[in-house]
Amino acid sequence: MFRLMLTTALAVLPLAATAQEITVGAANMAPYLDPGRDHSNVGSQFYYNSFDTLIDRDHTKLEPEWVPALATSWELISPTVMELKLRDGVKFHNGDPMTADDVIFSLNRMMQATFPPYVVRAKDRLANFPEAEKVDENTIRIHANREEPLWETLISLQQVMIIPEAYTKALTGDPDVAEDSDFEAFALAPVGTGPYKIESFQPGEKLVWTRFDDFWGEKAPLERVNVVQISETASRVTALKTGEADIITNIAPDQLSLIDNDPALKTAGSATALFHVMIMNQNHPKLKDPRIRQAMSLAIDRDALNEALWLGKAIVPSTHTMAEMGELHQPDLVTFEYDPERAKELLAEAGYDGFEITYDTAPSYYTNGVLAAQAIMEMWAAVGINGKIVVGDKWTGNSPDLMARNWSNPMYFADPFGSFGVMWAPDGPSQSEGRFNTDEAYAETWDRFRYSTDVAVRKAAYAELMERVKEDPAVLPLYRPFESWGMKTAINWAPMPGHIPYVLDFRAGSITLAGS
Amino acid sequence: MIPYLIRVAVKSVVTLFAIATITFIATRLSGNPIDTFLGDGLTEEGRAELIRYFQLDGSLWQQYLAFMRGAVSGEFGLSFVDRRPVTEVVSDRLWASGQLLLASVAFTLLVAIPLGILGAIYRKSWIGSAVMMVAFAGYAVPSFILAIVMVLVFSYWLNWLPVVGNGSFAHFIMPTIAMSGVLIAALTRFTRNAMLDVLGQDFIRTARAKGLGEARVVLRHGLGNAGVTVISVIGLQVAGLAAAGSVVVESIFSWPGIGQLLVNAALVRDYPVLQFGVITVAVAVVAINALTDVSYALADPRIRLARS
Amino acid sequence: MTTLADPVIAPRRKGSTDFIQKIAIGIAILLFALAVFAPWIVPFGPLDQSLLSRLRPPLGFERFAAGHYAGTDELGRDVLSRSLYGMRLTLTLAFAGALIGLLIGGTLGLVAGLRRGWVEDGIMALVDMQIAIPFTLVALLILSLLGSNLTVLVLVLGIAGWEQYARIVRAEVRRLSALPFIEAAWTAGAGPVYIACRHVLPNLVSPLVVQFTLALSNIVILESTLSFLGLGVQPPQPSLGSMVGLGRDYMPTAPWIVLVPAALIVALTFSVQIMGDWLRDRADVRLRDR
Repeated sequence: MFRLMLTTALAVLPLAATAQEITVGAANMAPYLDPGRDHSNVGSQFYYNSFDTLIDRDHTKLEPEWVPALATSWELISPTVMELKLRDGVKFHNGDPMTADDVIFSLNRMMQATFPPYVVRAKDRLANFPEAEKVDENTIRIHANREEPLWETLISLQQVMIIPEAYTKALTGDPDVAEDSDFEAFALAPVGTGPYKIESFQPGEKLVWTRFDDFWGEKAPLERVNVVQISETASRVTALKTGEADIITNIAPDQLSLIDNDPALKTAGSATALFHVMIMNQNHPKLKDPRIRQAMSLAIDRDALNEALWLGKAIVPSTHTMAEMGELHQPDLVTFEYDPERAKELLAEAGYDGFEITYDTAPSYYTNGVLAAQAIMEMWAAVGINGKIVVGDKWTGNSPDLMARNWSNPMYFADPFGSFGVMWAPDGPSQSEGRFNTDEAYAETWDRFRYSTDVAVRKAAYAELMERVKEDPAVLPLYRPFESWGMKTAINWAPMPGHIPYVLDFRAGSITLAGS
Repeated sequence: MIPYLIRVAVKSVVTLFAIATITFIATRLSGNPIDTFLGDGLTEEGRAELIRYFQLDGSLWQQYLAFMRGAVSGEFGLSFVDRRPVTEVVSDRLWASGQLLLASVAFTLLVAIPLGILGAIYRKSWIGSAVMMVAFAGYAVPSFILAIVMVLVFSYWLNWLPVVGNGSFAHFIMPTIAMSGVLIAALTRFTRNAMLDVLGQDFIRTARAKGLGEARVVLRHGLGNAGVTVISVIGLQVAGLAAAGSVVVESIFSWPGIGQLLVNAALVRDYPVLQFGVITVAVAVVAINALTDVSYALADPRIRLARS
Repeated sequence: MTTLADPVIAPRRKGSTDFIQKIAIGIAILLFALAVFAPWIVPFGPLDQSLLSRLRPPLGFERFAAGHYAGTDELGRDVLSRSLYGMRLTLTLAFAGALIGLLIGGTLGLVAGLRRGWVEDGIMALVDMQIAIPFTLVALLILSLLGSNLTVLVLVLGIAGWEQYARIVRAEVRRLSALPFIEAAWTAGAGPVYIACRHVLPNLVSPLVVQFTLALSNIVILESTLSFLGLGVQPPQPSLGSMVGLGRDYMPTAPWIVLVPAALIVALTFSVQIMGDWLRDRADVRLRDR
């Protein structure tokens, strides 16, 4: 009996990647798929395979190099108006041809959003664009309120990927009106123009992509991709070993050797364009004195965290900056340091009396998050800070009782505005949650940094913002985590430097299978 | 009998109502879903927009009335997370859990009843002791330990069995065993004791005295009579034990079942899914209990013939 | 009625103690002693990290780090020290939970037994409800909704088994009330509190001790399961279940992080259960002999 069971078991284990079909074991599967509404690290894995933006970039390069996508050319016809020519012969997965109306619909659903989740997303990054307008069947214009230094960057955001108008409106209710319920229905049956169509989607569980034969560009290299959620790290690694998955996502550095030691398997990884950060509440009654928060930062030996938890593969920044930000990358600024002696002095000056400082963290959301929290508590203890970890799934960033917690600042697009700028803008999320204060001077500096068309002015303004953060800290970027993917050796895939974090890019040229 | 049935029905309805109300109160006490899972980086206006969008802006009492009205008419609303009707979200998962439950019950019966009988017949020899040890062990090893040790050995070290999902027969092996551990332990003991009771009774002695073979005595007379109790007890208790085990086992084996769904829904405060999920499980448990009550009653003439 | 939830109906050996029982009781006592004296015997503090010697294997393997006999975990903490401290916390919680259950269940059972009528009906309806509801699931939901801290956890563990005490106490009280000496006490004008303390409680000690021991092992399992799922004891505090849960990610690379606490859980529940069973046998004998 047992032998019989075993043979059956072996027979049904999926064999090695059969021709042009792979299975991905993902740590998380999105609960819905709508590129406009989503900005999570989970969703961003999936959109690029199925949706296109008007302008794309060469993702193999770190420096932005814009390439035509659904728009074949674009030019500024005035400082605040961009005119784009649309590509001919583009089809949506449902067979509809893409028209200028679809493009206007897609852009304006964000720029003039009424559906609450869109409103929320548009406000923090598309606020400068009041509308898009159709000129003729092949031409559209996008208007800006003020002169925009980041035109291409913002027009290539995931949030303004193009979706079909007629299909979406007809999903529920009146087929000629875009109701909220249409957008809700779209998120469960998404349709785009990309090289893979979404064949089936079970929220939070499974996604199946199949090659879209009418794709306007080079056809997809894979016939079929199954993405299944396997939330436990140990299960994902085991699934890769048993052959149930061909690629697995989110492997902590500790597991790398395990996969690399297996001749049939390999790993690929990079330091992700995202900071794990510690945030501190400027308005907590006990933390009002900035010297205490400075000490909390100075006490943390981020290099030691990197060595121990990331095997030295993460990147510890001297300021809130990333190489991806091109001309705005400012590695020479020193905003954050490790100086335990200085931390002790500051605590003494501030009259710290040993009160408990809580540090909140989610149990599994941030790779190594709980480990880092525990190590930080020891580092705090070394300078005399009485720290305590509070683990919970609840987001506490908006609680007046928040003292410190971990968070992440992803690079939503390749500019400091796309990372620090979104999170720490005047009246942005950090301020409206009540843990970060700005004044007129900060707002004025932020405005120069956001809107100046002179790169030198933007850099100088950003440096001023960093100085403010140093004087009255509300955030400490810990490191850029090193994220890895495990896969069979026959698969040729690696994350590319030109993408936002976590994108599973399976387009032509991005993935190949040996022997196919 | 009729008054008894009415009492069972009333008790079931009251229990369900209480569970629905408690679930509602517990969810509302626990903070709102926007701060919990969407709060990350929201502005104040954005927050207000979302509260309206999720229809969390009325008073608690209004929300409760709306929930109860919906529940009575079978309308349980949309999931906060994926905006599908919760009835759909839950029923997708129910079948996966049901399959695992059925597999576990079948496996438990297959293993535990023979073991229990062996334990009763050979109670004085080492076989009996061994059976009791198995029963103790099943109770003492929590299902999560059983599950992860199996994964380590059979999947990770030996590469024999798959660990993710419910795609094939092989996928059922480890989750079924992990779910069944406690059930087997309990049922083995129960069968053994029931058999001991029966084997000690007069008609068995008569059967033996008539010269029937031991095997026939055990199988025909012993098992037949003990079986009634065994099966009603399974009905009463399986639901509870299985519901508990399913959360752990489903999370370890990425089994797309209802246990995992409920815990995730609780963590992200997806009230509609949580409320409907709990009610679904409660209906199942209450129904099984009611059926068990009724079958006991049918077997017990004192209740069957009682007049109120 | 016997239910599956009743742990053990073991072979009755009329108060004798067999070999396996002796071993199990020995193990239980040893484990209790280790837990009680953990602070004085463990070589390292349970929270002491050493980031330079993470994930070192136990004695007898390559890369063994001196002094860490059961290896180190993902933060370089000593697995043995953490496990013993974890067992200490697990047992503390189990005792506290079992006591709370005893208090709630005992009081309600006593009240139900002494006062008939709607009070008794109400309490027994609660008992029925508690039996009907799959409690582990309820505990999971409560903890994930309210967030876990030790107070909530202990309360949940306490509520987990109260109905068993209530049933035992009520049944015993009713049995005793029918006995002549209690009737005599009533007639002599004794109040219910006096009767409860003087006549009923002494007779309840032995069945309650048995139930307490059996509940202990159930609560250890419940606590471990909750902590395994991340809903019980929170890091950095170790409990046996949370060590298994958090160590799971490292199971393929560093199985000792999981296997040591897992083995302790099994040893604990196994031995305590056999001990409870043995106590029950002896209690039955005493009752029978009377």
